[in-house]
Amino acid sequence: MTRMMQGLLLAGVLALGLSAGDAQADLAAAKERGKLIVGVKADYKPYGYRDPSGAIVGIEPDLAKDVADKLGLELELVPVVSSNRMQFLEQGKIDLMIATMTDRPDRREVVWIVEPNYYSSGTNVLASKKVGFKQWEDLRDKPICGIQGAFYNKKTQTEYGAEIVAFKGTAEVLTALKQGRCLGFVYDDSFIVSKLGDDEWADFEMPLPTIDDAPWGLAVQLGDQAFHDIMHEMIVNWHKSGRIIELEKKYGVNNTPFALAMHEKHKNM
Amino acid sequence: MSRRQASLQRPTTDLPVLIAPSAGSTGRTAGRDSGCGAPPRLAYWHGFLLLAALLLSAGVAEAQSEPGRAGILETMIKWTPLLFEGFLFNILISFMAMAIGTVAGGFLGIWQISLLPSVRRGSWLVTQFFRNAPWLVLLFFCMFLLPFQIEIFGLVVPLPDWLKATFGLALPVMANVSEIVRGAIQSLPSGQWESAESLAFTRRQTLWMIILPQCVKRMLPPWMNLYAILTMATVLASVVGVSEVMTLTGEVLSAEGGRTDLLVPFYSYILVWFFIYCYPIARWTVYLERRFAVNA
Repeated sequence: MTRMMQGLLLAGVLALGLSAGDAQADLAAAKERGKLIVGVKADYKPYGYRDPSGAIVGIEPDLAKDVADKLGLELELVPVVSSNRMQFLEQGKIDLMIATMTDRPDRREVVWIVEPNYYSSGTNVLASKKVGFKQWEDLRDKPICGIQGAFYNKKTQTEYGAEIVAFKGTAEVLTALKQGRCLGFVYDDSFIVSKLGDDEWADFEMPLPTIDDAPWGLAVQLGDQAFHDIMHEMIVNWHKSGRIIELEKKYGVNNTPFALAMHEKHKNM
Repeated sequence: MSRRQASLQRPTTDLPVLIAPSAGSTGRTAGRDSGCGAPPRLAYWHGFLLLAALLLSAGVAEAQSEPGRAGILETMIKWTPLLFEGFLFNILISFMAMAIGTVAGGFLGIWQISLLPSVRRGSWLVTQFFRNAPWLVLLFFCMFLLPFQIEIFGLVVPLPDWLKATFGLALPVMANVSEIVRGAIQSLPSGQWESAESLAFTRRQTLWMIILPQCVKRMLPPWMNLYAILTMATVLASVVGVSEVMTLTGEVLSAEGGRTDLLVPFYSYILVWFFIYCYPIARWTVYLERRFAVNA
């Protein structure tokens, strides 16, 4: 009898697992729910982080709010991390993902990245001046810290031969870097620039040429044409009105060349 | 300063419960306790030591931090409400996982002594499987195998991450409870079964009215130990992205701009909370163990 029950339970779990695959969370579902669920980062200041009340704030949550206002829906922010953001969107747990995700061809097969890109950043390394890295090839066989799930970890490892030590969050990485557990931290250049402005990091530098200046893409579920079109229009409007530049200023980030160029390009359109 | 406080606390630990057990004082349990020296037991002053370590780490960090920034303690106080919410979430997960695990494990444990071979073997297999699987692996399994919502008769029931994590943690709890139940039942002298049989009790009556009531006493201490272990294991849920106290601490550290001086004080702070919560449970377990040992 127990066996049979176990069998039934197992079958049940499997059936649930299968039915999860085709869960739909398109725009229609969001409207029915009256609530737009957006996946954003909660550990990446200033793009998405917590304030003391626990709310998620930052540039991307502000953009998410714009979308919700435009659709006339309530907004719910779900914290995501690099390793689960695409899964959440695919599963339909979130309707829209604005989570510092670099636009990569392999990702386009999983989620629908909306064009034009809303932001951009390149990859660089934060390292002590004493180490004196001059070029990417200098990283060979050196321990380099990274964040779990970031795509450039692999590249730094395979192309430049660095030994990647991956951590969960930036605070852990920066501490490891200070303690000398790794010689450098491979990450988005915009983050590194903001760190270098801090006295604590006066002995550090960003010595290498920025590589992979890659645009960031926000994404909707594959096949959600209506939402895709709305988001396309939203992004164009953000660039046109200078919303991105305004948000960079609001959160104390130096205006990135990408944001300025996109504004130039779209403002007279 | 805290160290001195800690040493001043020592005399107050002179409670009866804290006296090392000696062969004479424990009566019938003499056989269990005598022979080996009294093991060191956690006492209140250990908590103070922990607190002192926290203050020390905060103090050192405070001294190192630059004048222009907010102090460590100030920062900690600012984030305490949010972190505490996360901590309550851990407690909630631990309660629910324990409840589910206990009910399921209770049945599984009884089935393990079933007279039907298929039931006995089946429940043995399930118990051994979940008891010997790493907790984190089971957690991952539940996170990625269960959907985020299920549809029952057209009604959409959401399955939030924390609930999935609760199920994931309930599985090893279930297996451990199953073993506790089986062990307790088998630890009773067979005379209990035999005398019940001679009084014409059915097997079911014997189990529910004679055996299990006696087992409760024996099961309580290991069950509470298991709960304390489970509570400390709830932070595993941070690995799968549940917004519990560890996840929030990581996010708070990022929100503070990845300040390296905050890392150790913040994680120590969380450690102290878990200690304060789990320590009384450990004390209570010791108390119950002793009490039931005498009355058994």
